Amino acid sequence: MPEVKQVEGKNVEVNSQPKSSAIRNEEKEIVVKIKRFSPDKGEWWQEYKLKVDRFTQMTEVLRRIKTEQDPSLSYRAACHMAVCGSCGMKINGAPRLACKTLAIELTKEYNSNEITLEPMDLYPRVKDLVVDLDDFYERMYKVKPRLYPSEEILEGKAEHRLVPEDQRELWKFAQCIWCGLCVSSCPSVRNDAEFLGPAAHAKGYRFLADPRDTITEERMKILVDSSWRCTYCYQCFNVCPRDIEPVTTIKKTRAWSSKMKDKTKVIETGEKHINAIADTIRKSGKLLEAEVYLRTYGLVQAMSDMLYMLKSGRMKYTLIKEVPVKDLNDIEKVMKGDEQ
Amino acid sequence: MKVAYYPGCATHGLSKDVDIATKKVAEVLGLELVEVEDWNCCGGGFLDEKDEDAHVALNLRNLSNVEKMGLDKMVTPCSVCLGSHRLATYKYNENKDLRKRVDKRISGTSIKYENKATAEHLVWVLVRDVGLENIKKHVKRSLNGLKVGAYYGCQMLRPEQIMGFELSFKPHSLQDLISVTGATPVMFPMATACCGFPLMGSNPKGGLKLAFNVLNSAKSSGADIMIHPCSLCHLQLDTLQDKVKNEFNVGWTLPAIYITQLLGLSFGLSPEDLGLGNYAKGVLKQKGVIQ
Repeated sequence: MPEVKQVEGKNVEVNSQPKSSAIRNEEKEIVVKIKRFSPDKGEWWQEYKLKVDRFTQMTEVLRRIKTEQDPSLSYRAACHMAVCGSCGMKINGAPRLACKTLAIELTKEYNSNEITLEPMDLYPRVKDLVVDLDDFYERMYKVKPRLYPSEEILEGKAEHRLVPEDQRELWKFAQCIWCGLCVSSCPSVRNDAEFLGPAAHAKGYRFLADPRDTITEERMKILVDSSWRCTYCYQCFNVCPRDIEPVTTIKKTRAWSSKMKDKTKVIETGEKHINAIADTIRKSGKLLEAEVYLRTYGLVQAMSDMLYMLKSGRMKYTLIKEVPVKDLNDIEKVMKGDEQ
Repeated sequence: MKVAYYPGCATHGLSKDVDIATKKVAEVLGLELVEVEDWNCCGGGFLDEKDEDAHVALNLRNLSNVEKMGLDKMVTPCSVCLGSHRLATYKYNENKDLRKRVDKRISGTSIKYENKATAEHLVWVLVRDVGLENIKKHVKRSLNGLKVGAYYGCQMLRPEQIMGFELSFKPHSLQDLISVTGATPVMFPMATACCGFPLMGSNPKGGLKLAFNVLNSAKSSGADIMIHPCSLCHLQLDTLQDKVKNEFNVGWTLPAIYITQLLGLSFGLSPEDLGLGNYAKGVLKQKGVIQ
């Protein structure tokens, strides 16, 4: 129940406050260092000082700097509640939404009253903290981010039904707000033009695995090769402000490879690798490196890579024979999966 | 202090030197590492893409064995093994549908996980439980003058909400450990970037490019040598030095050694005691750290 107080003779409802006045009245002066940029002047760092309290979001910090100190500062922010995704930037080096980040919490987390703000990496800068997201949107549109229902549905002759288990599988991955933080911090995107990026994979998988969708073959062609180009660094999982786990969708998309008819080299190599891993674990409970290597790359490549082993002084370790798990029944049972 | 020790397949295989150095250093520090009884592979960070339920079940089996040993902390020197176990328990606790499937999968096996044992990284145990001051007491030979790149890689740091030991964009554990040895820690832009190992199984060219990015970044920042916290980063960054050199046409190598190999050197252990590789021996001789 909200607390009611008398203010100038009237009853006024006030929000309940924490009991500790120290927390309630907490105020700090912070120094905000912003990486500025303009096409004419290039790049420079600029400092601003202001007082914040425990409610001050970083978007509010930026608004106050712009309105009270420096109208030339440019940034994007719209909803101020982690829904629109427009305020993505690097805060103390970490890709975050400014609206979801409280200034005082940051000072505690980093044990410093100085906060740095930079534009997201990867995307071309437009001005200050504003970046050009065209490349991000192109990646998202490539995966056809909408449901393609059947003719019957479009003609109103049937209903779309989704069992709760399927909805639970898809729900998390449908929460993307297109902020672009995951793509800005993804090393594979920089490395490989054929990798669609984490956000597009999350969106793509959400439709690939949707039983109501009708363009599954086309989606597989778009998504499966790309999924084998992710390096599993977990940066997208780490920075996503909506806890979507794009890397999980990439892992799940790889499992669709077995359904592909025309496989690319990347898919074929990747499949060989993972099948070899699973088989050696099934066989001994351990990952047998030499066998996995041979089955993935073939004898010729393995022989040539032996030279590198030799040069590094690691050749002697290739002869180690790891002891298999004693209780192989356990391994057999947990690896059987659907065969059970 | 007694903890369960999970080496993982690479640490017992091609990265055996990680195992050798870790056991030696633990012995010096009085950290009793008891190998997890009848441990199995964690899935190497890959099995979950083929069979998520089997992946979780296999990791629970190891932790269940730790609980049977009467211990609650399982320490691993490999970031991928760490990530694999922590993600498995996270999923098992968070995802009810998955938990039901996994419970079905493990029924009739010896796996009885009670959510008591957790996986931790060796670096966390060294920094937090053994303590920097205690480690410092064992330093017999200061590595003063050696510039050491602190490479964290991925899964000791990320996802931060599941790993939780330090800020993933501002880690300091490895720099702290380097400082203890008397060497100078070098931070570099790619210190928390991916080494590319997971990509080697499907797109080796892409994986090698990531390795080059890391090595090049450390080298450009002035490191003589680099340390890392992972048995798989070890294979990628140390074994493939010459492959990177040839592929990217550079005239240098930058040895990557495991954190306990660096600590061991400062404790006065020999390169043989620590299983040091050829690339590291070359640079360390040049810098006068070893004969």
